[in-house]
Amino acid sequence: MWNKVRERYYIAYVEIKQPLEAVVAPDGYTGVAVVLRFLGRPVGFFMQGGAGIAADELATAIFRHAGKQILSEKVYADLRGSLDTSPFPPLDIAICTHGRPDALARCLRSLDAIGLPCDGIRVLVIDNAPRDQQTASAVKEFPRVHYLVEPKPGLDFARNRAISEATGELLAFLDDDVVVDPCWLEGLREAWAANPDAGAFTGPILPLELETTSQVVFERMGGFGKSFERVRFANVLPESPTYPVGAGVFGAGANMVFRRLALDQLGGFDDALDTGAPLPGGGDLDIFYRIVRAGYPLVREPKLLVYHQHRREYGRLRHQMWTWGLGTMAYINKSWRHDAAHRPEIRRWVWWWLCYQLSKLFAPFLRRNRAHWPWDMVVAEVAGAIVGLCGEYDRSIARVERVRREAA
Amino acid sequence: MKWRVISIELSEPLAELPACAGYEGVRVVFFQNGVPLGHCRLAAAQLPASPQHLANQASNAIALAVGDYLLEEGFRSALPGVPEPQPESPGRALRSLVRLKNPVQELAHRLSAQVESTVTVSIAVCTRERPEALARCLASLAKLSEPAVEVLVIDNAPQSGRTREVVELFPGVRYVCEPQKGLSTARNTALALASGAVVAFVDDDAVVHPKWLGRIRRCFSDSNVMVATGLVLPAELETQAQMIFEESFHFFHQGYRYRRFDAKYFSATRNKGVPVWEIGAGANMAVRRTVYELGHRFDTRLGPGVFGGCGEDSEFWYGILAAGWSCVYEPSACVFHYHRRELNDLRRLVYQYMQGHVAALLLQFAKYRDFGNLRRLLLRLPAEYAVLVLRLIVTGFALDQRILLRGALGCLAGLRFAFRKPQQA
Repeated sequence: MWNKVRERYYIAYVEIKQPLEAVVAPDGYTGVAVVLRFLGRPVGFFMQGGAGIAADELATAIFRHAGKQILSEKVYADLRGSLDTSPFPPLDIAICTHGRPDALARCLRSLDAIGLPCDGIRVLVIDNAPRDQQTASAVKEFPRVHYLVEPKPGLDFARNRAISEATGELLAFLDDDVVVDPCWLEGLREAWAANPDAGAFTGPILPLELETTSQVVFERMGGFGKSFERVRFANVLPESPTYPVGAGVFGAGANMVFRRLALDQLGGFDDALDTGAPLPGGGDLDIFYRIVRAGYPLVREPKLLVYHQHRREYGRLRHQMWTWGLGTMAYINKSWRHDAAHRPEIRRWVWWWLCYQLSKLFAPFLRRNRAHWPWDMVVAEVAGAIVGLCGEYDRSIARVERVRREAA
Repeated sequence: MKWRVISIELSEPLAELPACAGYEGVRVVFFQNGVPLGHCRLAAAQLPASPQHLANQASNAIALAVGDYLLEEGFRSALPGVPEPQPESPGRALRSLVRLKNPVQELAHRLSAQVESTVTVSIAVCTRERPEALARCLASLAKLSEPAVEVLVIDNAPQSGRTREVVELFPGVRYVCEPQKGLSTARNTALALASGAVVAFVDDDAVVHPKWLGRIRRCFSDSNVMVATGLVLPAELETQAQMIFEESFHFFHQGYRYRRFDAKYFSATRNKGVPVWEIGAGANMAVRRTVYELGHRFDTRLGPGVFGGCGEDSEFWYGILAAGWSCVYEPSACVFHYHRRELNDLRRLVYQYMQGHVAALLLQFAKYRDFGNLRRLLLRLPAEYAVLVLRLIVTGFALDQRILLRGALGCLAGLRFAFRKPQQA
C-alpha cells in the first residue's frame, strides 16, 4: 500500500459573488478542498493538494470546475422565469440513528438553525435497537422533535417505521452523521415547485471534514455523488444502455426525499438490504431503482445539499468499500430476481462495473489526470461484490426472518 | 428506433412539449434567433415535458454555446488534438461571467445586431441522380432570407435527364453538366464557373436554414479565411440507421461553438497528423474562389465517385492550412441533412468513409511529406480499432459498434490507394 502519507485537507467555502481572496490552509493541512457557491447556490467542489490557492489560481479553478454550472444556472433562471415556491406540502424529516448521540445532536442542531421543525414540517428521530438512553436524552434537548424507538435492528426496519409514522405528503431521510446546508429546505421547495409530479428528490453530499487520510482518500475516490447539475431522471435515459441499474447516479441514502404515496405504493424499503452488519448497504439504490422503474421522475437538485462525516479510520473505510460492493451486488441480485424485464440492462451493468473496477486498478498506468484509487480499496470493493453476487441477498433474507421472529 | 426531430426557438416562451405517438422520443435542438445552441433527447416516457423541465434541459444543453457567444473570454471550444483553451486572464473572465445578467435575452439582443458583409456568394449543389432530394434542396434555397448571386447545379456524370428536368422547375437556377465522374471534379467545375467571390457548397440530400447564406458570408470578412464549414443537423431520425449515424458516430456533428483552424493550429498538430476531418463536413462548406485561382483544387483522385466516400474535402482543407490560411467552423450556418435510411447503406457508407479517410492520409503524406499522416495511419487507427474491439466485447456486440468495425475493412481497402496507377486527367 503506497498510500501511507498522512493527509488532511482544509475545507474552504467560497462565495463567487464576493471578491476572490486567496485560500490559505492553516498549519498541518496538506491540501484544500473548496466548496463553491454562487449567490448561495452550491455550484462546484474541488480538491487540491498544497498549502493554499492564490486568488488568480482560484479564479482559474473556479472557471474550470463551476463555470458551466454558473452559466447554466443563469440561463435556467432566465428561461424558467419566476418560480412560486409558496405551495409546499407537509413534510416529515426522518433521521434513523443507532448509537451516535453526538452526531445526531449535531444534525438536529443544523436543522434547528434553519428553523426546523416548524409548522407543517415534523422531525422524527427513529432510534434503532437502542442499547442505552443516550440517544433519547440527546433528543430531549430538542423538545419539538419526535422520538420513536424501532426495536428490530436494521436501518430499513427503521426507515419503514418512519414511513408508517409519517403523515406528510413528503418524507425526507437523513443520516445521523450529516449536517444540512442552510439552503437545503429552500432547495427542496424549489425542486418541488418545478417538479410537482416527482417521486423522489436527492442532492449532493459533500464532506463535513477531511481531517484524516481515510476521509481524504474516500472523497478523492469520488465520495458520494456530488454532481451539481440539476437533473430530472425518468424511467429511461436514451443515451445509456444500462440505465437505471447504476442507481448510484441518483444519489445516496444519506440525503433523500420521497413522495410518501410512492413509498407506500412500492411497499417501502426492502428490509433485507441495509440490515446493519453484515450487510449495511444497498437499500437506497434499491428504492431509487424501484421508484424510477415505477415511472416516477426522480429529481437531483444541487441546493438539496448536506455535509457528511466520512469514516475517520482507514481500516473502517476499507470495510465500507467492502460493504459497498456487497450491498450493490445484493441489490443487483434482488433486481435480477424481481425485474425480469430489465435483465439485459442488469447484465450489461454488472459487466460494465467489473470492467470499470479493472480500469480503476490500471488507471495510474493508463492515463493522467484521473482520480486515484488505492488498490486495496478497489480490491475490497470487488471482493465484497463477489461475495454479494454469491447469494448474500438470500443469506440476508434468512437473517432478517430471524430478526422478525425474535421480535414477534 | 424512430425519434422525432424538433426545433425549439427560445425567443418564444417555452410551452409544454407534448407526447408524440409512434416515436421513441424527441430530439430537440434549441435555437435563439435561428442560431442553434444545443440539443437534448427526451424519451417518450419523459413526455409530455413541462416548460420547467424543458428550461432545465435547455440550460444544461446550451450553457457552453451561450458562454461562447456572450463572453470575451472562456467557454471557447476545444480544437481536436490540442489542449482545451483556457482564459488568458481567469480573474477577468470570471468577473464578466459573474456580472452577466439575463444571458438568454442578452444573446437575443447580440444576435439580432450582427454585422453585415459585402462578400458575394454563389451556391453550388453537386448532384448525381437524386432528383427528389435535389428538388427539396433547391426549394429550401429559394427560401433563403438573402439571395445568393447565383445557384449552380452541377450534374455529375448524369445517366438520365431527370436532374435537368428538376432544375428547370426552379427559375434562376443554372444547370451545368459535368460529364467526368467524381465529386471532386464537380466541385472544381463549380469553382471555375461561379461568379461570386465565395462558393458555398451544400449536398443535394440536405436542406438549408433560411439564414444559412448570411452566416456563411460573414465568415469571410476575415481575409485569411479561405474555407468555412457549418453545422449539419439531422433533418429526420426516422430509422435506426439514421439514429446510429447521428447519435453514435458523430461524423457530421462538431458542436455548437465557433472554431478557427489556422496555421498555428496546423503546426501544433502536424507531428501527430492534423485532424482535418474534424473541421467540418463537405455537406456544408464554403470556399473562397481566390484559392482556386491560386491553383488549389479538390484532388480528382479522391472522393465519392472515384475512390472512397469522402476525403476530398478534408484533403483540400489540409492544403489550405498548409498554405498558411485559415478554416473556420461556424455552427450558426446550419443545414439539415437527410441521413441514409437503410442499415445496409450505412454499412457501405462507413466502409467508404474509412476508405476515403485512409486514401486522404496517404495523399496528404505524398503531397506534403508530413509524417503525422503516417503516424495516424499506422499507429492511431490500429489503436482505435483495438479499442473498438474491446468496446465491442464490453457492449455485447452492439449494432452500432459492429457497423463501425466494418470501417476496418474500409481502411484496408483504402491502402490500395497507394498502389493505384496515376490517372489521366
